[in-house]
Amino acid sequence: MSTAAILKKNSKLFLPVLSMSIFLSIWQVLHWIIGGEFLPSPYQVYLEAMRMFSIKIGGNSVWMHIYYSLRRVILAYLLGAATGLPLGMYMGWNRTFDKVVKPVFEVLRPIPPIAWIPIAILWFGIGEGPKIFICYVGAFVIFVLNSYTGMRYTDPLLIAAARTYGATRRQQLFNVAIPASMPSVFAGVQNALSMSWMCVLAAELVGAREGVGYLIIQGMDMYKPPMIMVGMIIIGIIGASLAVILRRFERVVCPWRRDLT
Amino acid sequence: MENVCKLPLIPREPTPYITHLKAAAKDNTISIISFLAFLIAWELVCRLGIIGPYQLVPPSQLVSTFIMKLTQANPDGGTLFAHTKASLIVALTGFGSAVLIGVPLGLFMGWYKPVDIMVTPIFDAVRPIPPIAWIPLAIIWLGIGLPAKAFIIWLAAFVPCVINSYTGIKLTNPVLTRVAEIYGASRWEAFYKVGVPSAIPMVFTGLKLSLNASWTTLVAAELLAASEGLGYLIQMGRRLSMPDIIIVGMLTIGFTGAMMSWGLNLIEARFASSKRVNL
Repeated sequence: MSTAAILKKNSKLFLPVLSMSIFLSIWQVLHWIIGGEFLPSPYQVYLEAMRMFSIKIGGNSVWMHIYYSLRRVILAYLLGAATGLPLGMYMGWNRTFDKVVKPVFEVLRPIPPIAWIPIAILWFGIGEGPKIFICYVGAFVIFVLNSYTGMRYTDPLLIAAARTYGATRRQQLFNVAIPASMPSVFAGVQNALSMSWMCVLAAELVGAREGVGYLIIQGMDMYKPPMIMVGMIIIGIIGASLAVILRRFERVVCPWRRDLT
Repeated sequence: MENVCKLPLIPREPTPYITHLKAAAKDNTISIISFLAFLIAWELVCRLGIIGPYQLVPPSQLVSTFIMKLTQANPDGGTLFAHTKASLIVALTGFGSAVLIGVPLGLFMGWYKPVDIMVTPIFDAVRPIPPIAWIPLAIIWLGIGLPAKAFIIWLAAFVPCVINSYTGIKLTNPVLTRVAEIYGASRWEAFYKVGVPSAIPMVFTGLKLSLNASWTTLVAAELLAASEGLGYLIQMGRRLSMPDIIIVGMLTIGFTGAMMSWGLNLIEARFASSKRVNL
């Protein structure tokens, strides 16, 4: 076997390593060019990470900060799914209900969830409330939109067929329309999670005493770029892992979607 | 077997136009009534004191605040128009530069293997970090002025531009490319005559996502560090405990964002007509 063939065969193993090393070397070179304080080298960031994981920041260990952020996201996400999915589906199913809810929803929809932060703080104080609320808004809108779209674009032929075979309206909804809308719903499931993850960050940046957003704001206040970067890496890793976990879950729940990788 | 196929024939008369109009009016009546009901309920909740004036204000007061903010700079140092303008300048600067760099980069990444290999690792390493997480670093690097905000928005808009252009051109039907090459097109000619046109719809999807992302991120950046702009306006509203300012600000943010998306849709309809797409 030639070298090229070996490389090709092991590309799954080889490419990530290659890409990481390219990335790290570019980073290192940039560090040499820009220098010092501003852009710490990967090694400095590594040292900072070791330091941060061994001490308490703002009274909590890094693991606790991660736990706080995750708890907020997951709570808000589940709440968003529990309310957004039924609402979106019913809006897609029932024309009258759609007409009733649509105007209010359409006025609120274009407002980015992050713009809710100030009013959420007025409403819920500065505790867990506003953070969960912001993440909830972010997830909720995406859940509604995707389940609505999924429902509206259900092939009318399927519904007509069910009706021809004498299915009641209820059966048409639960046995035909909802399963048919699942692919679109699951597209939303993924987006809603990354949206909530982004929202929790924003909420924690604006005002919090714990969470990963607090970590990077703390780094900024102490003028420590390495600390910010460690925080950003943690955020990136958690965001990516959440996406991977969800994709696994999606493959279990929606086994007919084989195009998912 | 004969009676099995006896389906009733449904007479299909063309619906008179007036019926159509009536139906449309009826549809909208429901919407209008429900929206009015929503406003009235909101007004009542505030007027009856169920929710305090430091948490929510009735819609009637929103209208007067809105009219007041059109001309007065108090209490936050700028009229609504000035804040909107400030935000738009930052958002469009970041978005525009992201499109100028991101779309060509994504297209080249999808088309030329070496570019793909060079850029993808960096891109993949940076991508999972939400643009908002860059705000503290950007503030340290660039201060709190236009450059920092433009940088963050650039990042936010850049990623969807690249991903969608990349995917769009990767999905170019290989048959088309091969036909072009058989007829003697160079790799470059095939790129801009076949690859790019076929990627256009995906590119526009990317632009829309980018625009959304840049508007959202702008608000976040302005909440954290700004002295003008709509994000700053709502942040000031919170500091002053004035829900009317916050809600007027939020609605303006939503409206401006929706207008920009609408504008982009018009451009898409103009330049990415389906005729060109279905090669």
